[in-house]
Amino acid sequence: MESVSRDIMLSIEDVSKSFPGVKALDSVSITINKGEVHGIVGENGAGKSTLMKILSGVYKKDAGTIVFDGQTIEKTTPSESLKLGLSIIYQEFSLINSLSVGENIYLGRYKEAGGLSGSRQKAEALLKSIGSHINPRSIVDDLSAAEKQMVEITKALSLNAKVIIMDEPSSSLATEELKNLFTIIRNLKEKGVTIIYISHKLDEIFELCDRVSVMRDGHVISTRPIAEVTRNDMIREMVGRPIENEYPPKPQCVGGKMLEIRHIRTRKLQDISFDLNSGEILGFVGLVGAGRTEIVRAIFGADKAMDLEMYLDGKKLVIHNPIDARNAGFGLIPEDRKTQGLVLPFSVEENIIMASLYKFAKMGFLKSGQQKKVARHFIDTLHIKTPSSKTKTSTLSGGNQQKCILGRWLELSPRVLIMDEPTRGIDVGAKYEIYTLMKQIVEQGSSIILISSEMPEVLNMSNRVLTICDGRITGEFDPALVTASEIMEKALD
Amino acid sequence: METETKTKKSALNRIVYKILNEYLVVVGIILFAVFTMIMEPNFMTVSNMGNLMRQFGPLAFVSLGMTFIILAGYIDLSIAGMFSLVSAVSISQANQYGAGRAILVGLLIGLAAGLINSLLLLLFGVQNSAGALFITYGMSLIYGALALMYSNGATIHLKDGVSGLEALGKGAVGIVPISFILFLALLALLFFLQSKTYIGRSVSYTGGNPVASRLSGIPVKRVTLLIFSLCGLMTAVGAIVLFSRVTSSGPTEGTGYDTNSIMAVVIGGTSLKGGKGNVLRTVVGVAVVTLMSNCLNLLGVSSYMQDFTKGIIMILAIWLDNRSGMMGGAAVED
Repeated sequence: MESVSRDIMLSIEDVSKSFPGVKALDSVSITINKGEVHGIVGENGAGKSTLMKILSGVYKKDAGTIVFDGQTIEKTTPSESLKLGLSIIYQEFSLINSLSVGENIYLGRYKEAGGLSGSRQKAEALLKSIGSHINPRSIVDDLSAAEKQMVEITKALSLNAKVIIMDEPSSSLATEELKNLFTIIRNLKEKGVTIIYISHKLDEIFELCDRVSVMRDGHVISTRPIAEVTRNDMIREMVGRPIENEYPPKPQCVGGKMLEIRHIRTRKLQDISFDLNSGEILGFVGLVGAGRTEIVRAIFGADKAMDLEMYLDGKKLVIHNPIDARNAGFGLIPEDRKTQGLVLPFSVEENIIMASLYKFAKMGFLKSGQQKKVARHFIDTLHIKTPSSKTKTSTLSGGNQQKCILGRWLELSPRVLIMDEPTRGIDVGAKYEIYTLMKQIVEQGSSIILISSEMPEVLNMSNRVLTICDGRITGEFDPALVTASEIMEKALD
Repeated sequence: METETKTKKSALNRIVYKILNEYLVVVGIILFAVFTMIMEPNFMTVSNMGNLMRQFGPLAFVSLGMTFIILAGYIDLSIAGMFSLVSAVSISQANQYGAGRAILVGLLIGLAAGLINSLLLLLFGVQNSAGALFITYGMSLIYGALALMYSNGATIHLKDGVSGLEALGKGAVGIVPISFILFLALLALLFFLQSKTYIGRSVSYTGGNPVASRLSGIPVKRVTLLIFSLCGLMTAVGAIVLFSRVTSSGPTEGTGYDTNSIMAVVIGGTSLKGGKGNVLRTVVGVAVVTLMSNCLNLLGVSSYMQDFTKGIIMILAIWLDNRSGMMGGAAVED
């Protein structure tokens, strides 16, 4: 914290921005000091992304001034702001998957980098300088999410970025990879690069940032040195009301054996067998790519397994595709809300009734009326914040989007609900609501398989935890009796 | 009060903006028709109106089928070959065995060709329009070649008064052609299929997001089978209606029906990205495309120049389609 100089790198004064029907930013002011790591937190819809998109030139501001490194910026395009030295790394990476790492880093600048071989050498040097051992010849498609992020950061450095904005950089990283990212961010800071770090995860903010700004409803609520903020202050400012706990009391309603999974074998999985009891939340822990998602996809009939036996209530179950799974009483909240869960251009109602629509058809003909009722029911009971049931889901916040998918399956009262990263990218308040719902679901006798990269979530919500590593189950724990590091050890086995 | 008038004004702005954004091509072509009306007195004659209604026929049937394909996020380029094949075989059947057998065989060929298309797509696991584009284009060459082999490359004429199919092509109830009544009936049926049946709604879901649809238990494979079979059937209806009217069928009769039907569907406002649109919009699209051809003909524009114009309009329509998608996305705040 001593290294923070008082020089101002970026000053945002009274910046406003409206979209049709929404005031996304209302006279927002933040100053970012040279060489600091500045955290920005806030619930979805608070205006963080809009602000960043204005900085990077994607949106035009309606009013206000922005001074970057002593230079007043009126209008910029994304490429101009890059030239000025402001790089932004989005949640969804902007790399070209079919090209190599080196080509991506110097994309469009091969000439100035000294041709393809020159750019490769320079890329290698830059990667090394942040302690990464990625081969610049590797094809980006073969890299893990963490490695892709390294490439994005390297690309920003190659552009001599003075400020790097990271939008939810940790959402696709496992614990180890996250530590690595933190080391790199501290490195960058030592080199004098200013970092703006946007995250939902308060732990990361406390660990990493020098100062933090809290945003809510298009306003900046506060900007303070991290040492002067408590976790509870921050949550209260984010949601605008105090939140007592981050998790509801753990459900304790585990009954007898319900589902037996035997010998799943796919190209990735080696002989996976486990049981699931009624009323149980079973957590899967493992690194991204360890095979957690592959297990549930095989069970749900989304991927073909070479070998798989299933017994529900002792009766053999054959599932060839998701339709069979649905009919057998399974539900799936997939890993990626936007690409696998929602039909984004469709309305809240259409998304909610998607899985249960077949029930409303007699001989294939739909009865109207009921669909509306079902949608209304879940908008009310799940507190989905939407202007109307006809609103496109693409305009909702992450938490409300996830609730639409939850409602979709709850209408069918599934016996086994599979939830793959159910709270990724969702704000604190909505997370709590989803946890409460999970509790209600198991209390009614259904079971949940929970996959999550957030260790506290798994420990606080699950009755039992399985660790997955390299396509195998490496351990089974009662989360009440072990620590996170003991579990992590098995997950890295 | 002031804010109220403000919101009213902005609502009006938005409506005008929406019309310009989504229906720019439609508005443009209607203005062009008005221009033609003033410049060319032949436009408003009874005979030209009859022309318009009849030209409307075959393309309209094909485009209704194409709407379902595009709605589900696919594309079907096999229509040209399929159309020629149905036309050649069905017209010969009419000459030999009469109307009933001609219609039956024609429809069966269309259905079979559509089924083959969809089975190929399912077999190869194609789930997007790019894959469908090349496979159906290949099938178009095959169906077209079969048509040429069957007809030995010659034009087949419908024998006068043998089959009675002329009634379908030329007959009318009052001033309304029978083919037009058939069109309205099929339009109603397909509109019902799209909006009031499970499988119809599944078509839109599949086009909106095939991955999410599959994971939610939407029968995406059945959708593929349905839409291509349906498109085959509607192409067959279009082919039969056309040769019944012009009483002959050339060996490459279907040329242009693929691109024209895609153009009609897109101009109508059904998105090439899938999921958004309906058959009623396509009716507007077909009307506009037909009107445009008619006006260009009346104004004596050369056929090369007509193709040139069509190309520009098609590109414009697709540009608008992409733009409206971007507009929808701009207000999204994560």
